[in-house]
Amino acid sequence: MATTLAATRTPLTIRGLGGAIRLESLIVLVILIVGLSIASPYFLSLSNAFNILLATSVIGILGFASTFVIAAAGIDLSVGSVLGFSAVVSAISVNAIGLPWPFAILSALLAGAFCGAINGLLIARARIPAFIVTLGMLGVARGAALVLTNGQPVYGLPAPIVWLGQGRPLGVPVPAIVFILVALVTHVVLSSTTFGKYALVIGDNEAAARATGIRVDRHRILLYTLSGTLAGLAGLLFAARVNSGDPTAGTSYELTAITAAILGGTNLFGGRASVIGTLIGALIMGVLQNGLNLLAVSSFYQQMAIGAVLVLAVWLDQINRGRARS
Amino acid sequence: MKNKALTIASTLVLGLGLATGAQAADAPVYGVLLKTLSNPFWDAMAKGIAEGGHEQGVTIFQEAAQSDQDAETQLNLCNTMLERSPKALIAAAINSSNLLPCMKSANQVNIPVVDLDANLDPAITAKAGVKVAFSIGSDNTQAGAKAADFMAQHLGASASGPVLVIEGLPGNVTGQMRANGFKAELAKVAPGLKVVASLPGDWDAGKAANITNDILQRNPNLAAIFACNDTMALGAVESVFADGRGGKVTVVGVDGTVDGVKSIKAGRLTATVAQLPYLEGIEAVANVKKVVEGQSVPSVIHVPTLVLTKEVLTQGTNPDLKYVK
Repeated sequence: MATTLAATRTPLTIRGLGGAIRLESLIVLVILIVGLSIASPYFLSLSNAFNILLATSVIGILGFASTFVIAAAGIDLSVGSVLGFSAVVSAISVNAIGLPWPFAILSALLAGAFCGAINGLLIARARIPAFIVTLGMLGVARGAALVLTNGQPVYGLPAPIVWLGQGRPLGVPVPAIVFILVALVTHVVLSSTTFGKYALVIGDNEAAARATGIRVDRHRILLYTLSGTLAGLAGLLFAARVNSGDPTAGTSYELTAITAAILGGTNLFGGRASVIGTLIGALIMGVLQNGLNLLAVSSFYQQMAIGAVLVLAVWLDQINRGRARS
Repeated sequence: MKNKALTIASTLVLGLGLATGAQAADAPVYGVLLKTLSNPFWDAMAKGIAEGGHEQGVTIFQEAAQSDQDAETQLNLCNTMLERSPKALIAAAINSSNLLPCMKSANQVNIPVVDLDANLDPAITAKAGVKVAFSIGSDNTQAGAKAADFMAQHLGASASGPVLVIEGLPGNVTGQMRANGFKAELAKVAPGLKVVASLPGDWDAGKAANITNDILQRNPNLAAIFACNDTMALGAVESVFADGRGGKVTVVGVDGTVDGVKSIKAGRLTATVAQLPYLEGIEAVANVKKVVEGQSVPSVIHVPTLVLTKEVLTQGTNPDLKYVK
């Protein structure tokens, strides 16, 4: 198995970081940063760098969630809705119910974990395809968020939670700090623990994983639970940023999260994934969006640009992969 | 192969840089943040703002989210906009809370904030400690009431029958105000017309068409439909015509979009309470310039609305018609 995994790494990846980070992604990111620095006088500044990290934090954490699931050849289409559901549950727990502020964190994570666990159970035990289960959860979680709030954002969170979204110790936005910390922790989990390695093995070859004694079903449930929990964390940050539990929060974020993972070099069909790669993928989109915004390029063109960059990055990867094989 | 592709990519980005690098920045810059551009209402607003900028001699730096539900993206856009240090911030928030952190940052550096199209909830805004220079928009409750007045006049005050209300996106204040304004006024001016269903059409023509189909099954004698925007009204009116009941059901929308006007002229949509986003855009820029220059303006500015019917459109005498785009 170890040889299979090693073979999927290409000569152009940075092995020192312990995962399949595509050099192409990093190059694309650097080119964007250089180009946009020349194009806009407002782009290259520390405050704008923090601004980009802040803007990327929620979607980036969702990207990490997707990375784990896709690593094991799964898919989670529900992360955007679970984000909204968790944001709402979190806001209600401290606002309408009036629990102390730590419960906002706890309830967001639990709400996310709960949705994720249901996804995992239905996929692993009831043998329903992941696409179907998580598509179902996309509807159920969003609907539940709307029902719980009657469609209205739940405004007003305790000060410590608002700080989590809007605080700036030493000028650094708290969500950006959380984002980077989560990236580091989940990167180590995916690249250096048995939990992460098993996920990659399952994604690479499920039959082989079973043959080597990996409890594939149990592992799947854990992976989807992790994905849900990270979506819950993203929901908490979202709510904290806008100081309210918005039931429409995170609508259609699932596709952006998957895009971040793919841009970062994660193989959509499993077996190869890297959290740092996803971080770079999310930053490519964040930098591109920020730069185009500073240049006042219409949001219509921005969607085209991101779509084109995605295809370009994967195309470069294909060429490189083909060369590595031959 | 790879190097070639990268060369192309970098050339493109650098080319973009050279093309836009030299921006003239003599006139003061006003930042404008809209909900989305893929909607005729906001498109007209954007044009009005551009015209306002032209009239007042200011440069307009305008951004919009990709969809009118993209609350976080809009907040990110707003933060990015502040990086350019505009002299004023004119923002149409996607909901009552998403832009408050950014508006607070604007307050801290003394950039006046305008609540464009009145999307903020004054109570929440005050609680968040955000100061808004003024709020500008149509009176949405009044717009709903005007639709009810028109219906009573069109069908007769003694008319009776079931009425369908198609609301906006659940939780959206604008939609709620229009729907509530309509219902309250209708009960007053035409008590015989009963609202039998009030359902959210999510501002979507397809959803509104489905709702109309369903209600026509239940209430074949439906007398009238009030939809909280024109997009939904058009979906509803098409369903009515497809059902062979064209002309028998009075359908009224709100907004006065290009398509709405076309439909009225074609004898399909009965009427629309037209908002005048073009005028609103002009007024917003003119008033915020006064604020920047230290003059005082009212804290709430109402832009008039106009009931458009086939008659009003063919006569073409109403002076406000020039703002209908």
